[in-house]
Amino acid sequence: MKRTTARWAIPVATALFAALALSACSSSPAKSSASGPVTLTFWGTYGNGGNKAQTDVLSQTIIPAFEKAHPNIKVNYVDVPYDSLLQKLTTSAAGGQLPDLVRSDIIWVPKFANLGVFAQLDGKMPNFNTLAQATYPGTLSTNKWQGHYYGLPLDTNTRVLITNQSALASAGLSTPPATFADLQTDATALAAKKIPVFADSGLQGWNILPWIWSGGGQITNADLTQATGYLNSAQSVAAVQMLVNLYKEGEIPNLLIGNKGAVSTQDGLPKGNYANILDGPWMKAIWAGQYQSFQPVYSPMPAGPGGSISVVGGEDIVMTASSKHQDAAEQFIAFTQSSVYQLSMAKTGQMSVVSSLDAQEAAASPELAPYIKQLQTARSRPAVPDEPQIDTALQDDLVPAFEGKVTVQAALDKAAKDIDPLLTATK
Amino acid sequence: MTHVVPAVTSTRPQTPAAAPDEGVRSIHGRAPARRAAARRVAIPYAFLAPGFVLFAALIIYPMIRAFQMSFYDWRVVAGATSDFIGWQNYVTAFHDPIFWRAFANSGAYMAMTVPPQIVLGLLVAMLLNAKAPGRAVYRLLFYLPVVTSWVVVSLLFQYLFANAGLVNYVLHGAHATNGATSWLSGRWTAMVAISALGIWKGIGWSMMIFLAALQGVSRDLEEAALVDGAGRWRRFTTVTLHAIWPATIFVTVMLVIGGFNVFTSVLLMTGGGPADQTQVLLTFMYEQAFKYLDFGYGSAIAVLLTIVVFALSVVQLRVFRNRTLT
Amino acid sequence: MTSMTASWQRTGRLAVSARVLVLTIGAIIMILPFAYMLSTSFKSQQYVLATPPQWIPHPATASNYVDAWNSDHFPRYFLNSLVVAIATTVLSLLLSSMMAYAFARFDFPGRETLFRILLLGLMIPAMMLIVPQFILAKYLGLLDSLAGLVVFYVASTLSLNTFLLRGFFETVPRELEQAMEVDGAGSITRYWRLVLPLARPALATATIFTFLASWDEYPWALTIINTPTRQTLPLGIALFQGQNSTLWGLVFAASVAAVGPVIVVFLIFQRHFVRGLTSGAVKG
Repeated sequence: MKRTTARWAIPVATALFAALALSACSSSPAKSSASGPVTLTFWGTYGNGGNKAQTDVLSQTIIPAFEKAHPNIKVNYVDVPYDSLLQKLTTSAAGGQLPDLVRSDIIWVPKFANLGVFAQLDGKMPNFNTLAQATYPGTLSTNKWQGHYYGLPLDTNTRVLITNQSALASAGLSTPPATFADLQTDATALAAKKIPVFADSGLQGWNILPWIWSGGGQITNADLTQATGYLNSAQSVAAVQMLVNLYKEGEIPNLLIGNKGAVSTQDGLPKGNYANILDGPWMKAIWAGQYQSFQPVYSPMPAGPGGSISVVGGEDIVMTASSKHQDAAEQFIAFTQSSVYQLSMAKTGQMSVVSSLDAQEAAASPELAPYIKQLQTARSRPAVPDEPQIDTALQDDLVPAFEGKVTVQAALDKAAKDIDPLLTATK
Repeated sequence: MTHVVPAVTSTRPQTPAAAPDEGVRSIHGRAPARRAAARRVAIPYAFLAPGFVLFAALIIYPMIRAFQMSFYDWRVVAGATSDFIGWQNYVTAFHDPIFWRAFANSGAYMAMTVPPQIVLGLLVAMLLNAKAPGRAVYRLLFYLPVVTSWVVVSLLFQYLFANAGLVNYVLHGAHATNGATSWLSGRWTAMVAISALGIWKGIGWSMMIFLAALQGVSRDLEEAALVDGAGRWRRFTTVTLHAIWPATIFVTVMLVIGGFNVFTSVLLMTGGGPADQTQVLLTFMYEQAFKYLDFGYGSAIAVLLTIVVFALSVVQLRVFRNRTLT
Repeated sequence: MTSMTASWQRTGRLAVSARVLVLTIGAIIMILPFAYMLSTSFKSQQYVLATPPQWIPHPATASNYVDAWNSDHFPRYFLNSLVVAIATTVLSLLLSSMMAYAFARFDFPGRETLFRILLLGLMIPAMMLIVPQFILAKYLGLLDSLAGLVVFYVASTLSLNTFLLRGFFETVPRELEQAMEVDGAGSITRYWRLVLPLARPALATATIFTFLASWDEYPWALTIINTPTRQTLPLGIALFQGQNSTLWGLVFAASVAAVGPVIVVFLIFQRHFVRGLTSGAVKG
C-alpha cells in the first residue's frame, strides 16, 4: 500500500505542476497592437455582497452601450472585495502592475495622487472642464490635489437623519428633530422611555463632521493647511459639547466611542432600540431584506447655527498613471458622466454626481429625494493624503471627552494640534 | 524498582556506519574511495537542496528586502526613489506608546492562550488515543474549529460576546454576572473574548500533533512499566511524556509564534479599538503599512516582532533540548 | 501480564464512561459556534443573527446554498482551490520530508545554522513579505496564475513541515535503518522505503495542515490574481461581504460548503494514525 501510494504521488504531482505551468504561460497579457482592439481593465466593488443588481447593470446595459459607441475598446471589469481594495491597489502599485481604471473611494484619491499612482486629468483630458463643472462641487473637490484634478466623481452619497416613527410616538413625539434644540428636547422625552435619541458608531470624520458643520464650525481653513483656530473654534466646541451632554445622560449609547459589542445602528433603529440615526441610501435595501415591516422616516440633518450640512461620501473614477491605454481610458471616464451610466446606476442605489440629472433621478427613485436635497449643501472631508490619519486622530482625541476625562475644548485643542501636521504632510 | 529507560529514541543522529565502503577501498584503490566519500558527504545537501533553494528564493530573499525597507522612508510606487533614514523607523517605534501597548497585548494574548491549548490538546489527544467506537467522529468534532475560517469565527465570536450576545445571556442565566458586561469595549475584557476564540480554535490543532506523537509511544515500554508496577502518573511521565517530547517542543514553539502573530480575530472583533486599546503587533503593523502606506515603519515593526519571536524560540529550543538529557 | 491487564480492565468500564462524558462535553463546546453557523446558513436574511439566538431555523431554507453555488464563478473557485491545494500539499510534503530526512539523519557542517534559517521563515509576519514577493513573482512571470499560488504556498509551508517532520523522523529507530544499510540500501531507498512509511502519522498530520493552509489562504491570492476565473474560494467568499452590509446567511452557507473538502481530507488521513510498526520490528 505504501509503495503504490508513493508510486503515483510523483507522476500526479508532476502532471499537476505541468498543467499549472501551462496555464501560467497562457496567462501572459494579450499585447494590443496599434490597430487591434484595446482592452481596458476596470477594478471596482459593484458586485460585493452578492449584489447582482449593480454588476448586471454594468454588464448588460452600461458596458455594451460603451463598446457599441467605441468599437475598438473592450472593458474588462474585475470585482474586488471592498475591504481589500486598498490593500490590492497598494501592492499592485508597489509591484508596478496596476489596472487602467479604478472605482476608488474618495478619501484615497489625494493619497494616491500624491504618490503619482493616479493620473492627472485636467489639462490632459479633452473635455475635462465641461464634465467637471457638471458635477456637484462637494463631490468634485474630492478629486483635487495641489491644484490639479486626478479623477472625476463616479457616484456619491451622503447621510440624512433616519427615524423610527414608533419610537418617537412612544414618547409622545410626532416629527423627527429638525434642529439642535429639537434634538435636545426630544432627548429628554425619550429618556423617560429609556430610548437613546441618537446613535452612531464612531467619532471619525464621517460621523462627527455633519454635527460640527451644522453647528457653524469648521475643521480647517479654506486652503486645508491649518486646523487650529477652526476645529477648536467656539462653534465646533458647542456642537460637540451638545453631543457630550447627551452621551453623559445616557441619551447616546457607547456605540459612539467604538464599542463593537453594542447593538449596531443597522439593527438598533428598526428594532426601536434607537430613535434616530444618520445613514446613507443603501440602508433601504438592507432593511427591506431584514426588517420588512419597518418604515423608516427620512429627514434632513438637524440644523444648527450653521444650517443643515452633511458629509459627502462616494467613489471617484480614476485612471492610473501607468496605464498603457490612456486615451481609451479617458473615453470611458467621459462615458461614466453620461446619463446612461449615471441614471442606470442610480436605480441600483448609486447616486448620480451630475447635478443636472437631479430631477430625472428623483423621478426614477423617489426614495433618493432626501439625499439629493442634502447633497446640495454637503461638504467633503479634507482632501489630503493623510485623511485616514486625521480620522484616527479625531476618534482617539474625542473619545476621552465623551468619557468625561477631558473637557471638549481641551480635546478639540489636542485634535487640532494633532491634525495640523497631517494636513500639510506629503511624502 | 528499576527505572524504565527508553532505549529507542535518540535525539542526536549519528553518521552512518562505514562498513559498505571498506570493500571498495581495499579492492579498487584510493580514487574511487575518495569519490565515494565525496558522494556521501554530498548526500545530505542533495536532500536539502530542492526545498532549501525554493525557500531561500521565495522567503529569505523577500525577508531581506523587507528588512531593507525598514531603513527607508519607503515610497510605495514602483520605481520611485526612497530616502534612506537609517534607524529612524525603529526609534519611532520605541517612542510610540501604541507600539508598546500592541506589544504588551500580543504578549498577553500569547500567555493566555498557549498553556490551555497545550494542556487541553494533550488531554483530549490522550482521551482519543484509545481504540473506541466513534473515535474518528470525536476527532473530527474537535478539529472542526481549526478548519473553519478565521473571518467567519471572528464574526461569530463578536456576535457571541456582544452586549446582547449569548455569553452574557448564559452568564446572566447562571447568575454569575448581571449579564451586562460590555466585553468588547474594555481592554482586558476584550482580550478575554479574543483569547477565548484563540483557545477554542487552537485545541484541535495541538490535539492533532499530540495524537500523531502518541502513536509513537511504544507498547512494550508501557507493558514493561506496568510489570514494574509503575502507577499511572509514573507511566505518564517516564514513558508517554518522554516519547512525545519532540512534539511538545514543536507545539510550544509554534503556539508562541502563533500567539504573537494574532491578527484576523483582533481585526474583526475589535478593530484594535476602542481607541487603540486592543491593538496587537500585527494589526498595528497592518494599519501603518496598508492604511497609512508607511511601509518603512511597518517593516520595522515586523522586524522587531521577528526578533522577539526568534529569541523566544531559540530560548525554548535550548531549554527543552537540554531537558531531555536528564 | 494477564493479571495486570485484567485488573486494568475492571476499572475499565468506569474509566470509559468518564472518558466519554468528558469528551462529549468538550466536543459540544467545540462545535457550538460551528453549529450556530450551520443553523444560520439555513435561515433567510431576516432571521440571521437575531437575539435571543435561534438554534433551529424556522422557517428553514436552502436558498443560501443555491444562491452561493449559482453566483458568478463559484464552482470555478472551488475547482481552483482544489487544484492548488492538492498540488501544494504533494510538493510541499515531498520537499520538506527530504529536508527533514537530511536534518534528522545526517551530521553535516552548517546543519543547525541552516535549520535555524529555515525556522526564521516561520517567524516573520507574512504580511510584510507580500510586496517583495509580488515584485519577485512579477519577475518570474508567475503573476495572475495558479502556478504562482502553488509555488509560493509550497515555499511558505516548508518551514513548518520540515520542523514537524524532523522531530518525528528522529524517533524512528536507528537499528532499522542500519540494518537496511548493511543490506546495501542507499540513502534514497532508506528514505523512501523505511523512514517515510514509519512516519506516516506525521506525514498525515502535515498533509492535513498543508491542505488547510493552502485552502484558506487569502492575502496572497488577493494580491496576485486579477482574472475572475482564476480566483480561489476565500476570495469568492470575501466577495459575499458587501460594502455596507453583508448577507450573513450567504456567507455562512458558502463557508460551510468550503469546509467540506477539508473535512474529507481530514477523515481520509486521520486513519493513518495507527500504532507505529517499530515495536514489532525491534522485538524480533
